[in-house]
Amino acid sequence: MEKIKYYFKTFLLVELLKGLALTGRYMFARKITVQFPEEKTPQGYRFRGLHALRRYANGEERCIGCKLCEAVCPALAIKIEVAERDDGTRRTTQYDIDLTKCIFCGFCEESCPVDAIVETRIFEYHGEKKGDLYYTKPMLLAVGDKYEAQIAQDRADDAKYR
Amino acid sequence: MMELLLSLEQAGQNLLGVFWLPLWTLVKIMVIVGPLMGAVAYLTLAERKVIGWMQIRIGPNRVGPLGLLQPLADGLKLLMKEIIIPAGSNKFLFVLGPVIALMPALAAWAVVPFNAELVLSNANAGLLYILAMTSLGVYGVIIAGWASNSKYAFLGALRSAAQIVSYEIAMGFALVCVLMAAQSMNLGDIVHGQQGRYGALNWYFIPLFPMFLVYFISGVAEANRAPFDVAEGESEIVAGFHVEYSGMAFALFFLAEYANMILIAFLTSIMFLGGWLSPVPFLPDSIVWIFAKVFFVLFLFLWFRATFPRYRYDQLMRLGWKVFIPLSIVWVVVVGAWMQTPLWVW
Amino acid sequence: MNFLDIVFYVFAAITVFAAMGVITSRNPVNAALFLVLAFCSSAGIWMLLEAEFLAIVLVLVYVGAVMVLFLFVVMMLDINLVRLREGFWRWFPFGAGLAGLMVFEMIYVLGARQTSDTVHAIVHPADYSNTKELGRLLYTDYVYPFELAAVLLLVAMVAAIALTLRRRAGVKTQNISEQVQVQAGDRVRIVKQMSAEGTGSATRK
Repeated sequence: MEKIKYYFKTFLLVELLKGLALTGRYMFARKITVQFPEEKTPQGYRFRGLHALRRYANGEERCIGCKLCEAVCPALAIKIEVAERDDGTRRTTQYDIDLTKCIFCGFCEESCPVDAIVETRIFEYHGEKKGDLYYTKPMLLAVGDKYEAQIAQDRADDAKYR
Repeated sequence: MMELLLSLEQAGQNLLGVFWLPLWTLVKIMVIVGPLMGAVAYLTLAERKVIGWMQIRIGPNRVGPLGLLQPLADGLKLLMKEIIIPAGSNKFLFVLGPVIALMPALAAWAVVPFNAELVLSNANAGLLYILAMTSLGVYGVIIAGWASNSKYAFLGALRSAAQIVSYEIAMGFALVCVLMAAQSMNLGDIVHGQQGRYGALNWYFIPLFPMFLVYFISGVAEANRAPFDVAEGESEIVAGFHVEYSGMAFALFFLAEYANMILIAFLTSIMFLGGWLSPVPFLPDSIVWIFAKVFFVLFLFLWFRATFPRYRYDQLMRLGWKVFIPLSIVWVVVVGAWMQTPLWVW
Repeated sequence: MNFLDIVFYVFAAITVFAAMGVITSRNPVNAALFLVLAFCSSAGIWMLLEAEFLAIVLVLVYVGAVMVLFLFVVMMLDINLVRLREGFWRWFPFGAGLAGLMVFEMIYVLGARQTSDTVHAIVHPADYSNTKELGRLLYTDYVYPFELAAVLLLVAMVAAIALTLRRRAGVKTQNISEQVQVQAGDRVRIVKQMSAEGTGSATRK
């Protein structure tokens, strides 16, 4: 009896019809597409997007050139050169991030002892030429300057979980 | 309208003499192929939309209102792209491949009737002609796969060739049942054979229901559509036989695939769903019906693609050889015996 | 010279060109494709003779099926041209003799008909169906030869399968029908698990 039932089910393509019914139902379901430039999904304060170098409130750059981020970077995307500045402090002369190598793991941010290198919420950036996505120190500092308020707010929100 | 056409034909005959016939035929071909290409373009859009809806997305909606200009944008993009001919390929055959793929998909339209009068060639052996033309489609795949000088393309071509040849047999037997029922190979006569007092109940999909399924599923396989798209197999052999193609040469394969889909949809409607006949007796027969039926069958193609996972290759061959071919041979005998009894009312 | 004549000469020229291509091209795949072209254009010529059934069946069977399988095999062969040519001159006289014989036979058979007056085909009425005519002949006058040929083909097919089908012991293969017949119930067992807040012990259904 089971067998006969099985053969009927096979030849009448019952399982296929079930599948078709399922997709047919979904055709009229409410669509969940987020239409990107006009609509955006909410972001968390831990979002890891474009990198930025931060400054202190007095305008002094935070980075002290410890190279921890360079050491921890799994994609070898960071390159740092360090020299002593005229006032005797240790500062970077070069701080480059190759965003085509970067995997946005956030390790640089975690490793930084002075919260200098951070990842911002920005993900809508692009490059039109080869090399456009090779961010140098002034570019990273510019990003930091532009979005400092948001960056500081995100750090503050996250602080209580650390 | 008819008189205008007749007088035009007369005038042309007088003006051009011998050359009138080829020229006039060419014009008629353009009248069929032009809208067909338009339909192909919008079928791609319909496919993306329908599959999008079934995956609770909204599909393309950026180019033009509701994304209606998307096919034009796609076509333009493909036209602009460079056609790269791979090193070590056979250049002549590489270019010929897509042309051969598209040619039979268009040539088969010569005998497809749209209603009782509207047909390019009212050939007596129309059914055979269609079978022959669809069987040529496999050459595009084989030639493209072989001339590309690439193993993925070659593997895709071999898989597809074996698949198409196997399913053609079942398809042929299914059509043998139709021609037995209609006692004619003329597609127009086949539709007339389905005419009757009971509308949809007179159509051949009722007495030939297993063959209807066999034909349609083989048609899906013949057009290399999901779930039988092992030739393309984008997730296993990176698009198979056309992996080396780019630009318009690539687009030709897609034109061929969608033109084949529309052709199979038309043939299914003509052979099993009564063509331009009305499904209910109180409405008049009209060309609208055939388009409605074709629309429905095409929707099934898209629906299948959104629903079923791809067949594994050996299971696909089993389905063709061990299920469809025996089933269709048995049904030929059944129909033959059935037609000798008074129980045959179609 | 009317339109049909032009069509005939075009098809004939293509056929001859393709036939030459079959025997002259070095690549076996090219040769097979030339053969396909030759079949197609001869189908065109048959069409001109109102033998539409034969023409279409030529395309359907030879081009659509036989040549596809042929190409299949030829594409996968690794053909060494040098070894193929080894015995060419040794067998040349034999081959040339055979070719001469065939040419003579063709001239004899076709030449006789060319000279007679019945060369022009009978003009048929518009509703004439070559297919129907052929079918009637095959199943009345020639039914025994026809059935005999069918049985012969069947025997050949069974023989070919019997010769090539080998069942070796100890080979692991997939049994596809077994795989296809698997149902969800054979592979998945749904277990009802109580939550941890309940009795603490899971019960199985």
